[in-house]
Amino acid sequence: MMLTTILAVVIGILLIGISVSLLIIAVSTLYVTTHAWWDPRTQASTSYEELMPEMAHSFSLIMPCRHESELVMRTTLDHLCSQDHPNVEVIISVGHDDPKTVAIARKLAAERPEMVRVSVDEGAVKNKPRQLNTALALCRNDVVGVFDAESIAAPSLLRHVDSCFQAKEADVVQGAVQLINYRDTWYSLRNCLEYFMWFRSRLHAYAKRGFIPLGGNTVFIRREVLSSVDGWDSDCLAEDCDLGVRLSVRHRKIVIAYSPHLVTKEETPDSIPALIKQRTRWSLGFMQVFAKRDWATLPTLRQRAIAWWTLMQQHFMAFTGLCIPICIITAIFGKFPLGVTMLTFIPLIPTVAALAFDMCMLREFGRDHGFKIRTYDYVRLVLATPFYQILLAYSALRALIKFRQSDFRWEKTRHAGSHLGYLGARA
Amino acid sequence: MKTSLAPPRVLPARPSVPGPLNRFLAFAKAAYAGLTPDQKAGALVALTAAILSVWNVVQATGYQDDEGTYTAQALSSLRGDLAPYTYWYDHPPLGWLQLAGLSWIPLVLGQGGESAVGQMRYVTAVFFVCSAVLVFLVARRLQLRTPIAVMAGLLFSLSPLSLVLGRQVFIDNVGVPWLLLSFYLALCPQVKLWNHIGAGLCFAVAIMSKETLAIFGPTLLLALVHRPFWQTRLFSVVGFLSAGGLALAFYPLMAALRGELITGQGHVSLQDALSFQFISREGSGSFFDPASDRAELVQGWLYYDSPLILAGLGASLLCLLRHDTRWIPAGLLLFSVPVVLGNGYLPAMYIIASVPFLALAVAVATDLAWRTVTRRVSSLPGFGEQAAPSKNTLLFRRLVRAGTAAVLVIALGALLLPHWLPINRSVLTAHENADWDRTLQWTKDHLPHEDTALVPYSMWSDLNADGRHDPWKVIALEKMDRDSDFEVHHDGWRDIDWIIEGPSTGRNIDGLGLTNASIALENSRVVATFGAWKVREVLNDGARSTSTAPGA
Repeated sequence: MMLTTILAVVIGILLIGISVSLLIIAVSTLYVTTHAWWDPRTQASTSYEELMPEMAHSFSLIMPCRHESELVMRTTLDHLCSQDHPNVEVIISVGHDDPKTVAIARKLAAERPEMVRVSVDEGAVKNKPRQLNTALALCRNDVVGVFDAESIAAPSLLRHVDSCFQAKEADVVQGAVQLINYRDTWYSLRNCLEYFMWFRSRLHAYAKRGFIPLGGNTVFIRREVLSSVDGWDSDCLAEDCDLGVRLSVRHRKIVIAYSPHLVTKEETPDSIPALIKQRTRWSLGFMQVFAKRDWATLPTLRQRAIAWWTLMQQHFMAFTGLCIPICIITAIFGKFPLGVTMLTFIPLIPTVAALAFDMCMLREFGRDHGFKIRTYDYVRLVLATPFYQILLAYSALRALIKFRQSDFRWEKTRHAGSHLGYLGARA
Repeated sequence: MKTSLAPPRVLPARPSVPGPLNRFLAFAKAAYAGLTPDQKAGALVALTAAILSVWNVVQATGYQDDEGTYTAQALSSLRGDLAPYTYWYDHPPLGWLQLAGLSWIPLVLGQGGESAVGQMRYVTAVFFVCSAVLVFLVARRLQLRTPIAVMAGLLFSLSPLSLVLGRQVFIDNVGVPWLLLSFYLALCPQVKLWNHIGAGLCFAVAIMSKETLAIFGPTLLLALVHRPFWQTRLFSVVGFLSAGGLALAFYPLMAALRGELITGQGHVSLQDALSFQFISREGSGSFFDPASDRAELVQGWLYYDSPLILAGLGASLLCLLRHDTRWIPAGLLLFSVPVVLGNGYLPAMYIIASVPFLALAVAVATDLAWRTVTRRVSSLPGFGEQAAPSKNTLLFRRLVRAGTAAVLVIALGALLLPHWLPINRSVLTAHENADWDRTLQWTKDHLPHEDTALVPYSMWSDLNADGRHDPWKVIALEKMDRDSDFEVHHDGWRDIDWIIEGPSTGRNIDGLGLTNASIALENSRVVATFGAWKVREVLNDGARSTSTAPGA
């Protein structure tokens, strides 16, 4: 009797504690995802600067490729080479163990010898950061940019990025990436929207706090800045995030800019296992960056707390969707006092409100990119949410297990080129 | 006696040690000096409201049964129950939960010895002050000049409706500051999303404090969206609606968790309560029937403050001239619909929520008048802003401003003061609860602790706290008929030994159809009388059977 009472009290206190944490996580997630829409001034501050009359920088664009088809690579390269910026070179980065891609890269480079070169990474261990570092050695221009093999850059992107470097005296400019094949599968809509939130809002919120996990695509870094930190961490799965952390810690000026017509277009992973692999890699990458503890060298407690939260939030978020119903069910079936049971419901307020905002964002996503969003899409968005949440939680759990086992092998996402079909959609 | 011839020791003048009051005054003075003019104006409103909110508050107005109900429920929630009797969803509990949460305030202020309701009136004073300050702040958000915004706060604080109804323990008074805060946030000039989400949450708190405040929902939405388009408007509206709606869902959620959402055998339910409040409860009649309760109630409101009600309604038409104040007439219009067109039950304190709107309407109209006159003068040839500011034009402009201000002040004073002064003097000086006090004292002294007494809710908490501590020994009047638990503890009206009859007892018996209480009352004799209060002993030896026709 006594034991059950003690047990009930312990579980009750646990429930209260977990509910309060879930509330904090849900509110802070809502806070960063809606940051861009706080008020019209914030919204204006997230966009690119006015174009400068003169271009002041030269660009070396690295295009890392691995097991890519010629169509995908050619389309990406075409968009990079047709930039209206006067001073651009492209370096296709490939690995020596992938002869097919090497052959395609050499063929494509031969078509534009004055502009395109190929960097072949001969190292035994293969991953994206190692390929990038090998390519970095070949770069000759002021600013190094990275474009994933399957990304479609906007034609005037570089001129805007150049203007941004000039106007804000930036060390790094992070442009936006947008997945666009939102109609393909049930999860692709959520996935597209997630990118939209990330580049439209969340990164800006992080930038405001001065701690930015960078993205790995459409990111531009001054070459001397990149060299000063010895390029990318060749053993990190989230080399992009890690670079952002290291540059944030060194107080380098990082500018995040968004403009609907300047986003780089990409595709979602082509299957659920691929999505899970990608997510696991990201989560694991964030865990790695966290474990590297570069963030812990920040001078003030406040800065460290922000950094801690930024890196951890990803993982917490993945589990909130599952924890909230578990807490509620425990409280109801455990016959806890009314106040405790009601408390477990409170995290639902920000969570469900976030869903309402998701729908607003989907509307804006459609408007920005000239897609006609139908009622069916809104319904799909809402219905897919719990299942997507399960995928994220599963990936985070998988990452955690891999982290415990120190399994940091690179699980590459395969690209089918399905985003290419969406390119005509823009008005 | 030998006087000491020692020379007086010359001591350096000791700095006088400041007493706690002096130290507080010095602190307040320093704090006041650091405020911006706007904050000083707000502090002035707060100070005036604070003094008015507690002045003579225990003596007048007379304690009402509803105040007793909310006080008893607040005190009961401190012990973990939502009400001393079965909580039947009469109102969402958040109103008295807030009162309970602040019930330590009177004790800190040294007001621990009052009656339970009187003590709770000091808690209500906190909400009164918040409302007054928020009226000022909303007026400032409407870009009214600071003196006019101060006037709005003072109109609210000094209106007899506020001084009479606004200082009583009504959950409307708890909800109104939340309502005003939601307007304040909705009107945020930088159209910030988080303010609009906050507006939704505050509005939900207002409704869960007193559900009748929900009538202002469309007005609040209008205040939020009725301004030039801004880019993030959709997000603001969605944030407002979803935050407010989700928070509001906690009331039905609570009912569902208690298994009392839907009507059913053997338990109360939210559904039953709603159908009672909106359908089956005896209505107040038609506004157009001069003999109806509704017409009488409206007459009562007009008796207290016809100048503010009429001037406010008139001024609200002028609010239509300004794009950003159109929500004020819209709010008053929506508010009036149930009064004028409805037939259902109309509570006396319903008017409370309209007082801030009336005060704001008058303030907006005053501001318009001021602006019109000063602008006209500026456009006069030779005196305009464009004219070179010679000594004469400056003097003239200053004279016109002073003249306009004087005319406005005199006009408002002439309109309000003749009506307000006698009523407010009475509210701030009368001793209306003397009979109540004597009845309570007599009852405490003479009623045996083991006897069962039927008492008005206004006295319930005090008698219960008087060593009886049993809601079925000291029974609130309506619970005998309206709480089925009565039968668990008692066997009919004969178990009642005493009835405390106040001025509202007969009205409650009629209004709520309390049959058993009515029979007990008929079978009783007066043993003590204190003005309108009587203590009756029930003749429970069967003088009359339950079947006897009442009034025989």
